[in-house]
Amino acid sequence: MRTVKEPGSAHSGLSDWYWQRLSAVVLLLLLPLPFFLLVSVYGGSLNQQALLDIIDHIYSRVLHTILILALIIHAYVGLKVILEDYIHRIFWRIPLIGAMLVMMTGFGIWWLAIIWAWT
Amino acid sequence: MREMIRLSIFRYDPEKGGKPVMQAYEVPLLNNGMKLLDALNYIKWNLDGTLTYRRSCGEGICGSDGLNINGVNGLACITPIAGLKQPIHVRPLPSMHVIRDLVVDMDHFFDQYRQIQPWLQTITPVPEHERLQSTEDRARLDGSYECILCGCCTTSCPSWWWNGDRFLGPAALLHANRWIVDSRDEATGARLDQVEDAFRLYRCHQIMNCMEACPKELNPTAAINHIKRKLLARKS
Repeated sequence: MRTVKEPGSAHSGLSDWYWQRLSAVVLLLLLPLPFFLLVSVYGGSLNQQALLDIIDHIYSRVLHTILILALIIHAYVGLKVILEDYIHRIFWRIPLIGAMLVMMTGFGIWWLAIIWAWT
Repeated sequence: MREMIRLSIFRYDPEKGGKPVMQAYEVPLLNNGMKLLDALNYIKWNLDGTLTYRRSCGEGICGSDGLNINGVNGLACITPIAGLKQPIHVRPLPSMHVIRDLVVDMDHFFDQYRQIQPWLQTITPVPEHERLQSTEDRARLDGSYECILCGCCTTSCPSWWWNGDRFLGPAALLHANRWIVDSRDEATGARLDQVEDAFRLYRCHQIMNCMEACPKELNPTAAINHIKRKLLARKS
């Protein structure tokens, strides 16, 4: 006797899995950089003006943008997978994932505006 | 005086109602190589005939006596008493509906196995003799074909506990991979289509309980990762 009425495959999941891993690699490479800056500032080898000069540089802005995008993608996919794991009712799961997407997109736009509006 | 083994065994009889209880037993150590199944048999045959459990071959081939032994899933027939902390806590496989005592309902587990269509599928005409396979291609099935479907891996998987209605579980996916890597099978694409799903396959988060639990020392996590790489290769 079949215990589950089987709806078949949704052809989903591969892109989540792929982006989660790709963003993880990007974070592994880029996330140490801001911490390096932070340690340099607290260590006294970098003053405020020097720090601003580094952040202001076009390469820094590009790397910063990639870092923020990777961070948001990684957090979004990771939390989405957790919600799929534990929230079984569609009634809750889809609005929660949607709300998370809206919040993270807003956060990303705000942060990118800060990076690129800097003068 | 013979050395005694102390056991604490899960008892539940739905006909009598009430809550499940852990019942204590003492069994003499019969010989040095004694297995847990020998102790269960001793209880059944000499102490308490009402104790209910599944067993058949007694040598780790049929996969009937998958149990939760001191918190770890394994086969009673090949688990030596010597290595177990006493009292030995024996429970049915986790997250399964208990029919009675240590016997669980395996219907859903086997239904998921059926869903991966575990048989050779071909489109080319049947050859005059058998479909041949090179020694190398045959060797690729090592680590998959040994699975006896005892359910120890699947019922130890937290992802399956939370989403067992949709996630196929390590045992079924190990078998799905067994047919995907088989050089004679010609339905690889359809098989990949069938598992490409956020729930059916991608609920595996590499917790690796399956690998720890497998009494045949197989690695379902590696098999699942192989399917994921196959899907990635197909799309990129």
